[in-house]
Amino acid sequence: MRIIGVYNIKGGVGKTATAVNLAYLSAQAGLRTLVWDLDPQGAASYYFRIKPRIKGGGRKMLKGKRELDRLIKGSDFENLDLLPADFSYRNMDLMLGEAKGPVKQLLRLLRPLAEEYDRIYLDCPPSISLVSENIFRAADALLVPTIPTTLSLRTYEQMVEFLAGHKVGNVKRMPFFSMVDRRKRMHLDMIKQLPERFPELLKAHIPYASDVERMGHFRAPLGSFAPRSAAAIAYDALWQELEGALKS
Amino acid sequence: MTTQSLQYQLKDSESIGEVMTALTAQFTLTSEPEKTVRYVLHDSFDWRLFQAGLQLEELRATGRHELTLRKLDGGTACETIRLEGAVPAFFQHYAPGLLRDRLADCLAMRALLPQVEIRRRERLLRVLDSEQKTVLRIVLQEQEARPPGRGEYQPMVALVGLLSVRGYDKPLRQVSRFLTRTLELQPQSDALITLGLAAIGRRPLDYSSKLNFQLQPGTPAGEVARQIHRALLDTLETNLPGTRADLDSEFLHDLRVAVRRTRSALSQIKGVFPEDEVEKYKERFAWIGQLTGPTRDLDVYLLGYDDYRDSLPEPYRPDLDPLHRFLVNHQKSEQRAMVRKLNSPHFHTLLKEWRAFLDTESAPESICPNAHKPIGKVAGKRISRTFFRVLEEGLAITPHSPPEALHELRKGCKKLRYLLEFFQSLYPAERVKPLIKNLKGLLDNLGDFQDLEVQADKLRKFAHQMVEEGDVPADTLLAMGMLVDGLLKRQQASRQVFADRFARFADAKQVAVYQELFGGRRKKRVADGEPA
Repeated sequence: MRIIGVYNIKGGVGKTATAVNLAYLSAQAGLRTLVWDLDPQGAASYYFRIKPRIKGGGRKMLKGKRELDRLIKGSDFENLDLLPADFSYRNMDLMLGEAKGPVKQLLRLLRPLAEEYDRIYLDCPPSISLVSENIFRAADALLVPTIPTTLSLRTYEQMVEFLAGHKVGNVKRMPFFSMVDRRKRMHLDMIKQLPERFPELLKAHIPYASDVERMGHFRAPLGSFAPRSAAAIAYDALWQELEGALKS
Repeated sequence: MTTQSLQYQLKDSESIGEVMTALTAQFTLTSEPEKTVRYVLHDSFDWRLFQAGLQLEELRATGRHELTLRKLDGGTACETIRLEGAVPAFFQHYAPGLLRDRLADCLAMRALLPQVEIRRRERLLRVLDSEQKTVLRIVLQEQEARPPGRGEYQPMVALVGLLSVRGYDKPLRQVSRFLTRTLELQPQSDALITLGLAAIGRRPLDYSSKLNFQLQPGTPAGEVARQIHRALLDTLETNLPGTRADLDSEFLHDLRVAVRRTRSALSQIKGVFPEDEVEKYKERFAWIGQLTGPTRDLDVYLLGYDDYRDSLPEPYRPDLDPLHRFLVNHQKSEQRAMVRKLNSPHFHTLLKEWRAFLDTESAPESICPNAHKPIGKVAGKRISRTFFRVLEEGLAITPHSPPEALHELRKGCKKLRYLLEFFQSLYPAERVKPLIKNLKGLLDNLGDFQDLEVQADKLRKFAHQMVEEGDVPADTLLAMGMLVDGLLKRQQASRQVFADRFARFADAKQVAVYQELFGGRRKKRVADGEPA
């Protein structure tokens, strides 16, 4: 089992679209895949037409009264399941704070799923918090969708700093450019200059595309309704690159 | 990823349309276009996967070629891999991973063979909820089966399968209730392989090398002897094609075991056939033993090769490579020579005449004194006599006895084992099974003692042969020398264990069971043999 966190301190950078589309590709390739919707907004759950509803809320779950197992829902696609979001996740930081060994709780919860799934994608809430620290510790790889702007770059550097400061060295950082608009000068400049400064940057870029926005209308991953669109092809390239890195 | 699946049997394939109409009227459904998929189900000749509760299915559909290992019970998939070419026959040919590990555990040296081919037309229906989300999948399946790659397809039962979506149990319950109560369909829990084989007139586990006779104590001994010999001949013939094609080493092994058992039954079940016939066939079956021996010897070395190699210290292991090549080449040429003999008229005539002999009326009582006696009596007497002879021989062995004494004892033990196996159904299983198990423990020990020496001896001969055949590196010969040394040390160790194994076999309680089950002749002598 490999755990992939999709994370950025900033919101609105295409995290959920990344988690949903990559998870779909992973399932299509025959890997048993789970998406855990950790974002209280529940966008991933919405894309999969699954109502976010966890009786008792996240608090009970972390105390181990309820196994993750029973909360998992199958999606419309083979090999692809979802652990739905719940609004009480907004209190997750508080709950993790109460638990023993708060920074390793998520990993403890995920461990029993190792035999059932080959890939687990975590769709993470923005901001740096106890939740994100948990994610850093649980994940094998951290995909960081990054809009090619100066501001985005600053938040990426903040994250790198945080990881170094909290000794979360094991996680593989995998930033990639997201929502790339080739009409914008700054985007093109950044794409040209940054790989030198950040060799960990992935080669695949995800373009800014209305097809991605249409996911909300179809309530389905891109690959299922527009597999030949530019964005779908870009996600495929990103997935190939991620899988290559996970295997090496 | 755990999902529940249920299946129901349709009365006939015409009713698929009716079921579909009924379901559409009752539930919100979408339907996908019909697809054709093909399955080939694989298992070893002796059904090792099936025995372990597993089914291995090769799937071909548009753009898909996969191999899935599945549990028979409940049908959950253990592992799926994509296939590039044909299904690899031996576990060693799979990439490291879960599938390979499971196959290694189950198959050991046996090859996977295609058992049945299934062609299926399937239509997938999805039950949707108010969010238009799939909450249950229904698969309507029409299918037919044939022997792999040949013959006409035979109709199989048509099925409705329900595949639950995780976290949505209610729709599964609703649809299954509708199918059973309203449409009155019967649940069908047989695995695909069982259903497919049934369509071509076969069933799983239709071959086993184990003896399984159901005998009645009152049946005349002559009749029972024929029954046993016929079953052994069947086993021999069943294993012939696989032996000729060298599909795996077990075909030849099982064939040879059937021959040994035949010879043993000929000499051990006395007075049921005319003496001259018995002598003639004993000799002729000994010939099969001889003609198959050299190939089997090399098979044994090849099967054990990895262990031999691993018994050497790491740096010396590569030195053995030329030995491996030697074994492979010689196995091939011996195999060819053996097949020529197995294809000879001489061999065919032997089997044909033996079958005819077994099918003719038994000879008059004057020639075969035991033929008409009840088997219960004859068997008990034979087992009892053999047991006490073995016991005496064993008790006479001391740490200073020559190896020949142990070799002789092994022969006697083998006879006893075959007799117990032939006739075990005449006795209570819970009493006779432990006897066989204990005897097997002793036999394994005696077998080690003899085989390890034979192997060491043979390795030395191989070394000479390799030198004669061309230039063999000195390092290889040295490494083989180390192997010989290791084998002889293990042989010595097995001698140390003998006393303990024999004591278990000759335990007073065990002797009492033998006496009770098979008759208590020679009571006095045993008492003499026991330490005061």
